Amino acid sequence: MVTKESGRREGFFWVGIGVIICVLAWKVDLGSFREPGSGFVAFIAGLFLSALGLVMVLSRIYSKVSIGAGPGSGQPFREAPVSLLLFTVGVLLGYGLFLETLGYNVTTFLLMWALFYLFYEKGKGRLGLSFLVSLATTGVTYLIFEVWLRSQLPRGIFPWW
Amino acid sequence: MDVLHYLFYGFGVALQPINLLLCFIGVFIGTLVGVLPGIGPPGAMALLIPVTYGISPVGAIIMLAGIFYGAMYGGSTTSILVNIPGEPASVVTCIDGHQMALQGRAGPALGISAFGSFIAGTLGVVGLMLICDPLAEIAVKFGPTEYFSLMCLGMTILVYLTQGSILRGLMMAGTGLFLSLLGQDIVTGKPRFTFGMSGLLDGVGLIPMVMGLYGITDILLNLEKVVQRTIAQIKTQQILPTKEDWRRSIWPIGRGTLIGFFLGILPGGGTILSTFASYAIEKKLSKHPERFGRGAIEGVAGPESANNAASSGSFIPLFALGIPPNVIIALLLGALMIHGIKPGPLLFSEHPEIFWGTVASMYIGNAMLLALNLPLIGMWVQILKIPYKTLFPLILLFCLIGVYCTSGNVFDIYVMVIFGGLGYILVKLGYEPAPLVMAFVLGPMLERNLRQALIMSGGGMGVFLSRPISAASLLIALFMVVSATIPSLQRRRKQVITEE
Repeated sequence: MVTKESGRREGFFWVGIGVIICVLAWKVDLGSFREPGSGFVAFIAGLFLSALGLVMVLSRIYSKVSIGAGPGSGQPFREAPVSLLLFTVGVLLGYGLFLETLGYNVTTFLLMWALFYLFYEKGKGRLGLSFLVSLATTGVTYLIFEVWLRSQLPRGIFPWW
Repeated sequence: MDVLHYLFYGFGVALQPINLLLCFIGVFIGTLVGVLPGIGPPGAMALLIPVTYGISPVGAIIMLAGIFYGAMYGGSTTSILVNIPGEPASVVTCIDGHQMALQGRAGPALGISAFGSFIAGTLGVVGLMLICDPLAEIAVKFGPTEYFSLMCLGMTILVYLTQGSILRGLMMAGTGLFLSLLGQDIVTGKPRFTFGMSGLLDGVGLIPMVMGLYGITDILLNLEKVVQRTIAQIKTQQILPTKEDWRRSIWPIGRGTLIGFFLGILPGGGTILSTFASYAIEKKLSKHPERFGRGAIEGVAGPESANNAASSGSFIPLFALGIPPNVIIALLLGALMIHGIKPGPLLFSEHPEIFWGTVASMYIGNAMLLALNLPLIGMWVQILKIPYKTLFPLILLFCLIGVYCTSGNVFDIYVMVIFGGLGYILVKLGYEPAPLVMAFVLGPMLERNLRQALIMSGGGMGVFLSRPISAASLLIALFMVVSATIPSLQRRRKQVITEE
C-alpha cells in the first residue's frame, strides 16, 4: 500500500509543479478574462495541478480510501534493472549526441552493436555475431531510409557515405 | 441516395493503385504490430507519420487507419497462440482463445476471430458512414464555447475510463495541457515557456513525445521481464470454424459489434473497454457460464468483434467534430493537420475525398485483413518466434530514425528519450500516459476556443453555462469527477474497469 507519507510527498510535488507553472504563466502575460494573454491557459493549468495536488495531500490525511492503490502501489522500482535501464537510456542519448558528428552509419553501427550485445549476446561470448548483425542492420536501414525513402541522414565526418 | 453516390466516389479514390498499396501496407504493418508485443499501434503510427509526408493526405490517412484496425486483427493471433496479448484490446481473447489452442482448436479460434473481426469491422464502417454526416451537420452550428466544453468532457471521460486513479489521470491531463503550450503563442506568435532553448520554439513535437511515451517506455518496461513463450501448434487446414462454432458465435458477433461500435465513439479506451463489456455480457447471457475460461468460442467471437467495431466507431468524433476520442485517433488528427487538413464538420464539404476515401478503404482493408490473417497464419506464427531481445534493438533504432527523419533535428531525439524515461517512471508510479497525450493534442484547440469564447463574451464565464450543449457537457464532466470522489462509486468504477 502507498504510505500516507509517500502519498503526501506525491501531493506536495504536484502542488509545487502547479505553483511553478503559475509563476511562469504570470511572468509571460496573464491578460484578463476580457482579453486573455499568452499565459492565461497555462495559469489555469497550474492552478488545476496545484488544486489536485492539494486534494491528494488531504485525501491521504483524511480518507480511508487509498487513491493511489493500484499499479503505483508498493515499491514500484524494487525489481527495476537500474543499470540496464540507465545504460539503454545513456546509449540512446549518446546516439543523439554523436549522430551529426560521426554520421548515420558509424553511430548506428555502434548503437546496434551495444544494444545487441547488451540485450541478446551478453554472457554468451558471441561478440562477433553481434558485430555482423549490427553491420547488416546498419546496411539494410541505410538502404531503406537513405536510398529508397530518400531521407536525409547525416553523413558526419565521413562524407563519402 | 447521397450516401451511395458518395460511397462510389470513395471507392473511386480508395481503388486508385497507390491508395490500394498504401491500404495494404497499413493493414500489413497493423497486423504485424498486433502480432508482436512490445510496440503498439500508437508507436507504429508515430513511426510512420514521417513516411506520409511525401504522399497525399488521403493516402496517408488510409495507411494510418489501416494500422489501427489491422492491429485489432493481429492482436488476437498472439493472444490465442502464445497467451500474450499483442496489444491491450486483445487481453480478453487470451482467456478462452488460448484455452481453445491448448485443446487443439487454435484453428477455429483464429478463424472465428478473423471472421468476427471482418463482420464487425465491415458493419462498423456502415455505422460510421451513416452517423458521421448527420452529426457533422449538427456540429456546424457549434461555436468555440461548445467545442471548449466538449473537449473538457472528452478529456474527463478519457480520464474516468482509464484504469488508474482519476486524480492521477487529471494530473496527467493538466501536465499535457501545459506541455502543449510550450513554443509560440497561437494568437500573438510570441515565444513562451521556451527556457531559452531554440529547440522549443516550435514546441514539443507530438511524434517524439508519443514515440518516447509508448515505444521507448514499452521497451524499458519489458527489460525487467523475462518473457517465456510457448507457441501452440496449429494446422493451417483446420482453420475454418465448424457449423456448431458458427451457431455459438453468430449472436456474440452481433452483440459485440453493437457494443464495440457505441463504446468506440466514447473517449477513452473504447477498443479495450468494449472487449471486457462484450465478454461480461456473453458470460452473463450464456446458459453455461462455467464454459467461459475453459475454451468457450463465444468468449473469442464477442470481444474480437467488439474491438474491431470500436475501431470504426472511434473515427466518428474525429470526422464529425474534429475531436479525437483516443490517442491513436489523436495521432491521425496530428497527421491530417501536418497535411494542412482540419477534421471537423466542414471536412465533408471541403475534403469529401478524405472521409469517403477512408471509409471505402476500410471495406477494402477489412477484406485484405481476412486474406492476410487466415491463409497466411503460418507466416505470423514464424514471426512470433523471433526473440524479443532481437526485436527490441531494431524497434529502438526505428524509433530513433523515425524521430530524426521527422524534423532532421537531434533535439527531437533527446525529447523522445526524455519522454521514454519519464514514461517509464510514470507507469511504474501508476500514472497512465494516455490523458497526457490527449491533453497535449487537444491543448492548442482548447486554448484557442477558450480565448475566443471569452473575447466574444466580453470576459463573461457565464457563456459556458448559458448555451445548452456547453452547459450539459460541463455538468456531465463535473458529475463524473465528483462521483469518482464518492467512495462507493469509486469502488464500483474500479470494479467495472478492472473486474476481468
